[in-house]
Amino acid sequence: MRFATTVLTPAELELRAQVRDFLRTELPPEHKPGLGMAAEHDPEFSCKLAAAGWVGMAIPPKYGGRGRSVVDRFIVTEELLSAGAPIGAHFVADRQTAPVLLRYGSEAQREYFLPRICAGECWFSLGMSEPDSGSDLASVRTTARQVDGGWLVNGTKVWTSGAHKNHYFAVLCRTSPADGDRHEGLSQLIVDLSAAGVRISPIHFLNGAHHFNEVSLTDVFVPDGMVLGQLGSGWQQVTSELSYERAGPDRFLSVFTTFRHYLAELAQPPSPQAARAIGSLAAQFWTIRQLSLSVARALDEGRAMRAEPALVKDIGTRFEQRAIELLRSVAETELDPESDSMFARLLAEAVLTGPSFTLRGGTTEILRSVARKGLRG
Amino acid sequence: MSEHRGSIAEAVAGIIGELSGPEAVRLAEPHGWNEPAWRALAEAAFTTVAVPEEHGGSGGDIADACEVLTAVGRFAAAVPVAENCLLAGWALSSAGLALPGGPVTMAVGHPADTAVLRGNTASWRLNARLHRVPWARQATHIALLADLEEVPHVVLVPHADAEIQPGSNLAGEARDGVVVDAVVPHAVPAPAGIDTGTLRLRGALGRAAAMSGALARINELTLAYTGTRQQFGRTIDRFQAVQRHIVRIAEHANAAAIAVEAAAANARPLPDVFDVAAAKIVCGEASGIVAAAAHQAHGAIGMTKEYELGQLTRRLWSWRDEFGTEALWSELLGEQLAAAGAAALWPRISTGRVVGNE
Ligand SMILES: Cc1cc2nc3c(=O)[nH]c(=O)nc-3n(C[C@H](O)[C@H](O)[C@H](O)COP(=O)(O)OP(=O)(O)OC[C@H]3O[C@@H](n4cnc5c(N)ncnc54)[C@H](O)[C@@H]3O)c2cc1C
Repeated sequence: MRFATTVLTPAELELRAQVRDFLRTELPPEHKPGLGMAAEHDPEFSCKLAAAGWVGMAIPPKYGGRGRSVVDRFIVTEELLSAGAPIGAHFVADRQTAPVLLRYGSEAQREYFLPRICAGECWFSLGMSEPDSGSDLASVRTTARQVDGGWLVNGTKVWTSGAHKNHYFAVLCRTSPADGDRHEGLSQLIVDLSAAGVRISPIHFLNGAHHFNEVSLTDVFVPDGMVLGQLGSGWQQVTSELSYERAGPDRFLSVFTTFRHYLAELAQPPSPQAARAIGSLAAQFWTIRQLSLSVARALDEGRAMRAEPALVKDIGTRFEQRAIELLRSVAETELDPESDSMFARLLAEAVLTGPSFTLRGGTTEILRSVARKGLRG
Repeated sequence: MSEHRGSIAEAVAGIIGELSGPEAVRLAEPHGWNEPAWRALAEAAFTTVAVPEEHGGSGGDIADACEVLTAVGRFAAAVPVAENCLLAGWALSSAGLALPGGPVTMAVGHPADTAVLRGNTASWRLNARLHRVPWARQATHIALLADLEEVPHVVLVPHADAEIQPGSNLAGEARDGVVVDAVVPHAVPAPAGIDTGTLRLRGALGRAAAMSGALARINELTLAYTGTRQQFGRTIDRFQAVQRHIVRIAEHANAAAIAVEAAAANARPLPDVFDVAAAKIVCGEASGIVAAAAHQAHGAIGMTKEYELGQLTRRLWSWRDEFGTEALWSELLGEQLAAAGAAALWPRISTGRVVGNE
């Protein structure tokens, strides 16, 4: 276990300054910030960001990316999240799908998808969870049956974030029966969300928002060329994908904008309780950010990380939930999603969506067992 | 100090690994300190790190001293290294005074302290009542700040001139009351920047470093113990409820370590208030959580005086309160951030470590 502090290089600091300038121009003062990765879906913003070279930036130039480091991507991402920028359209494709395509995709898939993702024009959802398959992902029942030139997919995916807005989703399904090891025989297929047989129905979130969906697939034809990676290696691919996305700034910055607006609207000078809450939150943000950054640096240096990303996600997401409670305890306001106060609106949203922080991308309980195995070595 | 980072911790571990092993810690406790460990560290010049060589120190910087202190915390060594290096050593050398053989401790300004200086360079007289001075009993000298007609002076009091009222923290480390009414040999106007605020900041960094060492050791102990202790026919680390304790301890120990590492690295040349406050807050919060989780995971063995865990948790429960609790530092930090305004918040938080190794 080694989380090492890291000093940003002059080039990295320069990148950060550029992103800050960009955000000052692009986000109007009255902009209502989003809560981390659940921010607004804004195609225009994603395209502008892509034009600046900051979508899919770690992808090699020959596929439309900039060949930048994990730390560079970290810097851009933390600036976007801390400003509550509307990253909803491209975020999953940028964080998750692009690296998976680069690692496992066929040459044709890379050439087709990566430049479009890097342009901010091609958006992905994740098709893992099912009604009877959550933490125990290997139990998925969606099947793909081989037919002439491709596959026919049948099954139901749930909690599919953004499926009603995005273009594709990577579907984990069974391509051969599970006799013996159920981790065998699973594959990932890239499914066009506008294909015949795909039905997308909204599942309304606790706050009424339409964020995720049920996606039912009935005899959806997927051409052979859309099998992602090795047939039958879906399990290994999905687990490596989940560990890759685990430790980023989206795991501790969801409520940073809420905190910033608390400070902005605070009556000066703060009461001792208020000052104490501010100091304690700032200390934790400062520390957890450095843990997360150290994972990014280690990835760039090719150092293997086992337990660390899971630890960062657990500590980050649980901190986010404590931060909500701490802000609430000093805010002395009744929560109203329509309040005139930006802080009160953000806090209302944070309270309503907070429980999902420790569920999405693998629950706290599951993460802990991943982390524990890594700690034991 | 020319050693590379990491090798200092190793060297210190080599020196006090046995002298401050669990059995040695137990034997030292009734004495209020671990004299053999102090002597060995002093012989190897680790008790004057960060004090310039021309003032009787071994050179090096605050980050080096923090590395020594992390090792001191890890071995639960009852030695006044933070006091000698970071407090007295700094105040005396800054005032142009040589650091006596030591150990020298320093009173950093307890709210109830009073210290009045009278006289002139020919003859100084000190009247002082000091509280919770670390290891005053064992110190050859006690340094403090005393006012001479409202001008603070750095004053050095030989042990013989101090009346000691023994006290201790939860780990039996001496935290004494001191009364002085005597003629004192040394008093020099305090140079700019030497005041109770900056002294407390250094003390807090020193304790945070020691806490991070103790937390790292508890992490190791818990992993080892839960991996060997068997109940219901398997090692207890197979139970999810126990895994929860293990993971929680690892998280907080690592958070404490990275906070201290950044604060110490950035303390070249001087510690920064945000960094040190953040490190003391994070270590203080971690101490309560880790101690509770580690005791739960260990069961009754952890509650025995002989077992190493308690030597570490009793220190964490003490050190988190010394040189300012998490509440105090949070309040101070919060006031500063509120005054700086919302626009400055993210730029400050996203400034982590800024100083490289060489
Ligand atoms: C906002 C949000 C967005 C999401 N977006 C997507 C998406 O886009 N695509 C997608 O595929 N999925 C998505 N998900 C689903 C998410 O991945 C699942 O919620 C998650 O994997 C947990 O599955 P579950 O909800 O079925 O809970 P379950 O697995 O049924 O778990 C219920 C409880 O039991 C516990 N539990 C289960 N197994 C164990 C065990 N072995 N040991 C200890 N405890 C256990 C869990 O930790 C949890 O507390 C999203 C979820 C949320 C909240």
